[in-house]
Amino acid sequence: MKLRDRISSWLESKFIQAAASAALLAFMALLPLFTDNYYQNIVWNAFFYMLLALGLNIIVGYCGLCDLGYASKFAIGAYTTGILIKTYHWNFWATLPVSIIISIVSSVIIGLPTLKLRSDYLAIVTLGFAEIVRITARNLKITGAATGLIAIPRPTFFGIRLVKITHWYYVFLILVVIYIIISFRIRNSRFGRALAYIREDEDAAEAMGVNTSLYKLYAYVLGAVLGGVTGSFYAVKMTSISPGSFDFNQSVNVLLAVILGGMGKVPGVVLGAAFFALFPEFFRDIPVIGDMRMLFFGLLLIAVIIAKPQGLWPERNK
Amino acid sequence: MALMHVENLKMHFSGIAAVDNLSFDVQEGSITSLIGPNGAGKTSVFNCMTGFYKATSGEIAFMGTSLINIKPYKITEMGIIRTFQNVRLFKNLTVLENVMSGAHSNTKQSVFGALLRPAAQRREEKEILERAEHYIDYIGISDKKGYLAKNLSYGDQRRTEWARALAANPKLLLLDEPAAGLNHDEKEKLLELISQFRDELGITVFIIEHDIDLVMKISEKVIVVNFGKKIAEGVPEAVRKDPLVIEAYLGRDS
Ligand SMILES: Nc1ncnc2c1ncn2[C@@H]1O[C@H](COP(=O)(O)OP(=O)(O)OP(=O)(O)O)[C@@H](O)[C@H]1O
Ligand SMILES: [Mg+2]
Repeated sequence: MKLRDRISSWLESKFIQAAASAALLAFMALLPLFTDNYYQNIVWNAFFYMLLALGLNIIVGYCGLCDLGYASKFAIGAYTTGILIKTYHWNFWATLPVSIIISIVSSVIIGLPTLKLRSDYLAIVTLGFAEIVRITARNLKITGAATGLIAIPRPTFFGIRLVKITHWYYVFLILVVIYIIISFRIRNSRFGRALAYIREDEDAAEAMGVNTSLYKLYAYVLGAVLGGVTGSFYAVKMTSISPGSFDFNQSVNVLLAVILGGMGKVPGVVLGAAFFALFPEFFRDIPVIGDMRMLFFGLLLIAVIIAKPQGLWPERNK
Repeated sequence: MALMHVENLKMHFSGIAAVDNLSFDVQEGSITSLIGPNGAGKTSVFNCMTGFYKATSGEIAFMGTSLINIKPYKITEMGIIRTFQNVRLFKNLTVLENVMSGAHSNTKQSVFGALLRPAAQRREEKEILERAEHYIDYIGISDKKGYLAKNLSYGDQRRTEWARALAANPKLLLLDEPAAGLNHDEKEKLLELISQFRDELGITVFIIEHDIDLVMKISEKVIVVNFGKKIAEGVPEAVRKDPLVIEAYLGRDS
């Protein structure tokens, strides 16, 4: 058996998977006990990227659609929550359903006409839409224009005001676990398989009875909803949001995390996001390399995409 | 009433008539073949029947219901399942997952089923899995169940496609050159399987073939097309002796 096969069959084993996940989760849950705010915030940032990558993974990894404007999805959630709290003094938790509804409506409006066309159109339209969202946010009074929304009050959870970095560490850790469960449940269902069929061969999927335009829309909307919810939490964690937080770079970063980790493979996507968030931090303080870290990172990405277009996470099965 | 009725079907591509005024019937419970030289328009007929092409004119009816302007997935839901001339599997998925796609057209759990996993969803998942495994066994590729489709030999890819089609419980099975690329033994086995599909599973089979000899052995009726037009139709022996058919095949050197 080749080493690669051995690694992948080892990773396949249910017991190993369960044990490794439990150990990893326990480690993540205990980490704040022996790290300070600085490190917790770095890890929080990784959680944040994981959420975005898991959301986008439904669209790109599971269904094979190309979305170049994922930042707009989390901008919509962040601004919905931010505006409802700042301007209308809503409770944070009550803003979540609204954020979900607005995510659904906006993604249906974008997706319905575009998803019937060839897949490349979606890339262009999502890119355009993301710019429209950003420019609108920059120019409207209600979104705080270029300054954005500042001093968004922190929410409470069972009487605890979520003000400490440790609180947000745990909130986002829980969200990551929920998003992972959602991802696995979708992957192992008739719905999720249909998305995979579309990704692999849209005509053959249609021939097997998959309503491809509808299922692509479902995937797109679901990805948008996960992005919107992430955005809502982001708004209250940061307490301030501005159009700069949602630019094209963000969309690209998340997309690269999904591609790097291995399109559609959940552990790969999570690691891809973690790597993406942590990599620049590790190299920040090293002289010379620190300054060139993004260049180095870019080269690494190109190498991965050429050498392993299926991503770094090993392939399942034979 | 014929299971499938095609009347005056025309399919034009920027002036070229790929299918030209073609009419034929497929009787329920029969094995019917559509044969013809390269480029005769056979696959185009299939694509019109399954909704992948929009017929220029003419009528296609399945059990009395018109299929004109019906989307492919709807046609599949009606019980018409096709295979592709150049095998089209879901390459990065396993044989099992590929065959499970067959069950998609007559199961129904969707997004909420996936997320909330109610009892109905779990029952359906089990049924899909069992059905897929049953047909994987039936076709005889159980040992390949966990393989990714892209790593299969060509013959196994073909077999996976048949299992996938059977898992849809079709009423009418459309096979586009199922024997292409198979060796002699595999072809024999295929003929046996096709008879079984009809005799054991009660599926009406409509086959496109390039190779006359192959379909002669199992078809009750053979329809021959050339340049999109029907040139002969009837029982295999009669069709084989038809001068137009001989000429079409010899003339095209195929
Ligand atoms: N989508 C298309 N666009 C343009 N022309 C097409 C298209 N599909 C088929 N044709 C043309 O229609 C004609 C019939 O093609 P078709 O594939 O139906 O033939 P066939 O009998 O299946 O041939 P083969 O034995 O090679 O599979 C050919 O001339 C082909 O080039
Ligand atoms: Mg053909």
